[in-house]
Amino acid sequence: MNWFEIVWVGMSAASLTLGLVHLLVWFKQRSKVAHLLFFALAASATAFGVFELAMMHSPSPAAYATTLRWAHVPLAMFVLSIVWFVHFHFDAGRLWLAWAATGVRLLALTLNFATGVNINFSEVFALDTLTLWSGVVVTGPIGIANPLAIVPQLGNLLLLAFVIDASITLWRRGGADARRRAVVVGGGVVICIVAVAGFAALITAGMVHAPTIVMPGVFVIVLAMGYELGWDLIAAAQMASRLRTSEMRFRAVVEAVPSAILLVDDRGAIALANAHAEGLFGHSRAELVTMHIDRLVPEHSRGAHAGFRALYAMDPTTRAMGGGRELFACRKDGSEFPVEVALSPLATDDGLFVLASVVDISDRRKLERATARQRDELAHLSRVAMLGELSGSLAHELNQPLTAILSNAQAAQRFLAQTPPRVDQLAEILSDIVKSDHRARSVIQRLRAMLRKEQAQHRSLDINEVVEESLRLMRSDLLNRDVTVSTDLADALPAVSGERNQLQQILLNFMMNGCDAMHARETDRRLLVRTHRNSQGHVEISVADRGTGIPEADLERIFEPFVTTKSQGLGLGLAICRSIVEAHGGRLWASNNADAGATLHIEIPAKPM
Amino acid sequence: MAMQEPAPTVYLVDDDPDLLKALARLLQSVEMKVATFASAQEFLEGYDRRSPGCLVLDLAMPGLNGLQLQQALEQEACPLPIVFLTGRGDIAATVQAMKHGATDFLTKPVDDTELLAAIDEALNTDRQRRRTSVERERTAQCLATLTERERQVLELIVAGKLNKQIATALGTVEKTIKFHRANLMRKMEVRVVADLVRRAERAGIGKAPAT
Repeated sequence: MNWFEIVWVGMSAASLTLGLVHLLVWFKQRSKVAHLLFFALAASATAFGVFELAMMHSPSPAAYATTLRWAHVPLAMFVLSIVWFVHFHFDAGRLWLAWAATGVRLLALTLNFATGVNINFSEVFALDTLTLWSGVVVTGPIGIANPLAIVPQLGNLLLLAFVIDASITLWRRGGADARRRAVVVGGGVVICIVAVAGFAALITAGMVHAPTIVMPGVFVIVLAMGYELGWDLIAAAQMASRLRTSEMRFRAVVEAVPSAILLVDDRGAIALANAHAEGLFGHSRAELVTMHIDRLVPEHSRGAHAGFRALYAMDPTTRAMGGGRELFACRKDGSEFPVEVALSPLATDDGLFVLASVVDISDRRKLERATARQRDELAHLSRVAMLGELSGSLAHELNQPLTAILSNAQAAQRFLAQTPPRVDQLAEILSDIVKSDHRARSVIQRLRAMLRKEQAQHRSLDINEVVEESLRLMRSDLLNRDVTVSTDLADALPAVSGERNQLQQILLNFMMNGCDAMHARETDRRLLVRTHRNSQGHVEISVADRGTGIPEADLERIFEPFVTTKSQGLGLGLAICRSIVEAHGGRLWASNNADAGATLHIEIPAKPM
Repeated sequence: MAMQEPAPTVYLVDDDPDLLKALARLLQSVEMKVATFASAQEFLEGYDRRSPGCLVLDLAMPGLNGLQLQQALEQEACPLPIVFLTGRGDIAATVQAMKHGATDFLTKPVDDTELLAAIDEALNTDRQRRRTSVERERTAQCLATLTERERQVLELIVAGKLNKQIATALGTVEKTIKFHRANLMRKMEVRVVADLVRRAERAGIGKAPAT
């Protein structure tokens, strides 16, 4: 083989190799049509290279003409590949130009077989022998040009117009990447086509005596486009590497997080779970991945869970799951435990994933329960102590009906002892005795309710009723302390959720504090108990006294334990009130009145309708 | 000389209507005349100051309480005896009530005999007090009819002087003194000297501080 043959075969082989690489790429990623088109481009270049080599070694003018005619098949395919490669890869260029270039090229191919000996020559009557560098001999045609050779030239012009148009669009789109592509592909294609087509035209017209050498131009185009596509492959490889690093980082974070992490797809299947999830749910990671998320939800709430998942998919935002409900999860062995779950959405090409972070809050719940129990016990103790202070008053409340019963009964005895016995009032006396007895019983029931030690149960309460009940318990004590109480109770107050005894305890405590504050006052000992719905929609209860007031510095402190202004007393009463109010989701505070004394306030959220 | 007194009234003041009714009933069962009041104010506005009787008063009441009513009556110089009823054994209140002349201080629930005995005693006190005041008035009237000389003689009689001593003291004779003395006895509506002395003494004669 001489150098000429080696170069031509080399260019063909290189084209084929490049083409096959991209065919493989397309095979793996069917969506990337550019790679398939490049394969077509490279394969047609290969075939064309082989035809051109054959042409230059033609034994006769007729063989040359026939070979050239067939060489137009890969050439047409090459041109079409350029057009559609540019179209798909650049996503630019006017579509009608692409179709025009395609149409004209196919027309040229048809004419190639229909007229003359091929589209270039009407007739090839002789072969010209040319001696190239270092004594290599090739043949060129001598003949009459086909007048229709203008058609493929027109096709080439359209191809040029399309590529230039597409390159300009790409250039204008801006960005270093787009401009590089415009220059490499657009520039390469334009220069090569102009050079090759011009050269071929000159030879065909007989103006230049040389063999038609198209293959180098074709090869340059293949190289330009291969370089362009290769660039994409390199970028893809770099991105894959970055992705791997990022995924490794993500996994490291997921494993390090001190809670169970589950990635769940839109059908509810677990796509990823960390080591904590294994420990928490008792399933191995292999079991967890692909398992349906519902299997980690206790059986009784699985139905509801499916509904909640659908709701979340409609409005996927990062938030805590459950909207305030208590949530439970279920271990492999079926045991349940309370959890807190944070959700964040992850939109991907494969649908909406949800990243769920699950924390076991059993210990926290246990602690909360223990705290609540202690608070209730302390509240009870303080209530008992307070009732101790009120015992005189309560004894009086019992004494009244007892005295009435005794006097009524003794009056009856005396009426009966008369001669003749008087019985006219007996029925009324007995009914009064029964009435007084009921009254005594209700005092004892109230007392018993306040003394009872039971777990706090929140019920729907009418605050005004609680206030009136507390006033009944205090009645006698207030009389004894020469304190008058006026009330200003709002109508149509919303109900609150609370523990009757504990709220009553707060009110009694507030009133007793008010009475103590007015102890030194000779006259005008007054308490005002108000209830109303405040601007935030909460139920507010306040007890205002006309006592000595509270020093500004102590307004906050009086609710702290062991802070007291009294000589006797531990200073626990108001601190316990605060813990009770906080357990009701409310708050309490103190303020001084403009004229005299202080006011203690409680605010409790209204029960949602 | 028996005076025709109207039947005494027991005034009951208590803010507890059930108790008020039961106590009234008990007193009615022993044929007592009862008037009930639900508050101290009601009583002050409604009771008849001239009629005899006594007050059974609850200590703890809204508005004017028992002790305050006692003070108000004291200011009016109303001598109505008071039996206090209280729900609790409040020593300070007891002492104050007794100092201001309460007849009795009973703790609820009160037994009928105890209550009736206390009321009886209070009514007695009232009767006594009324009788004393009637007698004092009469004496004052009698004293007003005495002449200057008769009054001087009376004072010396009360001082325990004999007729002769009186005559010497006044610079006259025993016979004249005897005459004054007879007039005196008639005007003061007494028959024996002992009655005269007691009456005069009750009217405050002879008790003037020595000068």
